[in-house]
Amino acid sequence: MQTPLPSSSGTKPEMKEHCSHRADCLKLIQLILDGEATEQQLARAKANLESCKPCIQMYQLEKEVKELLTKRIEKRCCPEQLVATIKTRILSFS
Amino acid sequence: MATIPEVMSDTPTSDRNRIGGPTEPDQFLPDSDSAEQPEANAPARGYSEEQKYQIFNKEFMPHIDSMYNFAFRLTMDEDDANDLVQDTYLKAFRFISSFEQGTNAKAWLFRILKNSFINDYRKKSKEPAKVDYQDVETTYNSEDAESEHTVDLRAESVSDLIGDEVATALNSLPVDFRTVIILCDIEGFTYEEMAKILDIPIGTVRSRLHRARNLLKEKLRDYASSMGYKEENDE
Ligand SMILES: [Zn+2]
Repeated sequence: MQTPLPSSSGTKPEMKEHCSHRADCLKLIQLILDGEATEQQLARAKANLESCKPCIQMYQLEKEVKELLTKRIEKRCCPEQLVATIKTRILSFS
Repeated sequence: MATIPEVMSDTPTSDRNRIGGPTEPDQFLPDSDSAEQPEANAPARGYSEEQKYQIFNKEFMPHIDSMYNFAFRLTMDEDDANDLVQDTYLKAFRFISSFEQGTNAKAWLFRILKNSFINDYRKKSKEPAKVDYQDVETTYNSEDAESEHTVDLRAESVSDLIGDEVATALNSLPVDFRTVIILCDIEGFTYEEMAKILDIPIGTVRSRLHRARNLLKEKLRDYASSMGYKEENDE
């Protein structure tokens, strides 16, 4: 989801500094980032993410952590030798 | 005997890469306990020898890098990862008649690998033995304990972490928590697929993932703050 994140200069007066249900918001944010949120949940979160500062920060953090995991952790490839061994052993099955 | 749990109906699901279609029975997958006794609803498919090799090469082998990566992240050891992947693929071939051609081979293979890991490797791994599903679930599962828990951390403070640091943080998590993060964030499985791979309800996938991420953020926070401390000292 692309959430328009407010620029620091354009802080609107109705921006909430406090979130009274952080834990629930966090769960919702994770559903969204995992692509598992329903339309309703998306709509609800969208409203939050435009007006609630803690929610925006949580969203940024969750997104960052997910990206660290997706993009920065090295992906180990299967050694060629193992591929060859498996193929050979399969052939001897029948 | 491990049966595949019903998917919880209140959960948003996605139809991409379903493990089994909505109308067909779930496929039997080999577990160590039930491996020799296919379930009644597991349709055994009469593949010819040629078809078996074709399925193996075209549907199973393309996932071998993901499988190896999963095995390595679980065992944190190259030799163990080798053995685990090899065992899994041999099992997959042996039980190929319980795999329906054209369905989600990746999830099917991951489930076999995860079961092999639990049955064969976990016991001998250096993992602290106390940490098992039951303990973890009861310790962390009380909704009260977690409901107010959010980790105080800013996105900017983790954005400079390098892959090795993130991997170390991930590796330090108990294996059940590590597993859900690997499946979701590294392999991109849906909650529904994860539920089937792990034999747990979707609600448990969701809450375990939530807790896993809180633990991970705590580790990352420790990392980030120790780095900040070092930088200050260096200058
Ligand atoms: Zn909020």
